[in-house]
Amino acid sequence: MRAKKVSLNSLTGFSKNNLQLLRLLIQQELTLRYKRSVIGIGWTLLNPMLTSFVLWIVFSFLFVGKLEAGQQFAPYLMAGILLNTFFSQGLLQAANSIAANGGVLTKVSVPPRIFAFAASLAAFINFLIGLIPLAAVVYLSGQTLTIAFPLIFVIGLFMAFFTAGIGLALSVIFIRFEDAKNIINVLLLILIYLTPIFYPIGILNDRMQQIVSFNPLTSFLDAFRWAFSDNATATWRDFLYLALVSIATFAIGNRFFKRRWPKTIAML
Amino acid sequence: MNIIEAKNISFAYRVLNKHHTSLKTLFRDFLHGRVSIEDYVAIKDLSFEIKKGETVAIIGKNGAGKSTLLKILARVIEPTTGSISITGQVAPMIELGAGFNDELTGRENILFYSSLLDRDISKVKPRIDEIITWAGIADHLDYQLRTYSTGMVARLAFSVATDEIPDILLIDEVLSVGDGEFATKSRQRLLEIINSGCTVIMVSHDLATVAQIAQKVIWIEKGQIKMVGLPTGVIAAYQASGS
Repeated sequence: MRAKKVSLNSLTGFSKNNLQLLRLLIQQELTLRYKRSVIGIGWTLLNPMLTSFVLWIVFSFLFVGKLEAGQQFAPYLMAGILLNTFFSQGLLQAANSIAANGGVLTKVSVPPRIFAFAASLAAFINFLIGLIPLAAVVYLSGQTLTIAFPLIFVIGLFMAFFTAGIGLALSVIFIRFEDAKNIINVLLLILIYLTPIFYPIGILNDRMQQIVSFNPLTSFLDAFRWAFSDNATATWRDFLYLALVSIATFAIGNRFFKRRWPKTIAML
Repeated sequence: MNIIEAKNISFAYRVLNKHHTSLKTLFRDFLHGRVSIEDYVAIKDLSFEIKKGETVAIIGKNGAGKSTLLKILARVIEPTTGSISITGQVAPMIELGAGFNDELTGRENILFYSSLLDRDISKVKPRIDEIITWAGIADHLDYQLRTYSTGMVARLAFSVATDEIPDILLIDEVLSVGDGEFATKSRQRLLEIINSGCTVIMVSHDLATVAQIAQKVIWIEKGQIKMVGLPTGVIAAYQASGS
């Protein structure tokens, strides 16, 4: 008896033509954003560097001595910004993608989730491009990349699932309530402070450390910093936590979207 | 052979009594006890059959449920109750060019739009020359769409949409696009497709055209079927009802 063939098509429920569309959408998402600027996709490289540089000037005075031995503040900070950009960009663009393509979705029978997935995967690719300047900063700070480096791809993939799940759930809420976007922006701002992006977790008191460690983004960030250049400590518990949270979020987001979509599309 | 069979399909769901567009107003009205749940019914208990190769027109006033029915036929939404079986590929000719992107070139738009219509773009690539020649925009293929005139965009969209003959074609008022010569050309092409044995479902207010090309007319009122039959009879009754 032949084993049942497991392909990407059967796993995602997308047809071959759907996957083709996904590829085109990712391409568009990556190239169109900077189409009218002179340096084009170079902004993807420059953006995290400029942001990190500004924050580095501000925070290096405060936090440089506060990291653990062997850790460097510049790559620590930049890794935080890169992953946070991945998270907020992937999430917001996935959430907006459905409304932005409402005109198409009400006329053509296309699985709407494709648009959200394309946004999350594009944010993932932007993140991977951002690793190039990060590697440069790592070497400039006198560090080297670790052997665990390939784990970044696994962490990134889980992050893509995580953002796609939240993005899908938010997309129908954004269409329903116009002020939901403002509320989410405030929540994202709070979340930034509850994640050790620009500060070392060691400066917090025990109670705050507990709260911050409960935030899945902290596990993502620790795992990423540890795997890239050993600028944080991460254990298998962090990996398990981020994997479980992202898969659960993805499943719940998809389910919520599937249930709300028929009502939502009637509103588009 | 029936290519489409709808049995008692409805599209209805529960909504809040007032359309709250923001969480703020929803919260305020909730505190004042002014939020309740109502049923919203777009179409109710429709049953009909469409044979392969038939040309069917759906008529009715605005808000009668025509566009909801068209969305169900386009497989954009599923009926909340009842069942519908559709055999074959459906191509919606509804608002042509929805999905075009101004920043992409003509060529990229052809591929992207084809992909949205669920076509294999490796099969579309060799057809690009023919598509742009028919649309009359051959010189502009590699320019961004924002440099095109409105007429050029409409022509390109029509050319791409009609490049492949589907099993079922859904038409919403668009029988021709552009002006003068192209309007005649596009109308002719659509009539060719209709006569080629393709099943066509059209929604139109243009009763003269309906009488001319439809073989069957479905009249919908308030989400329910009022009358089904030959064009002459249904159109006469529709007009007599004062619409």
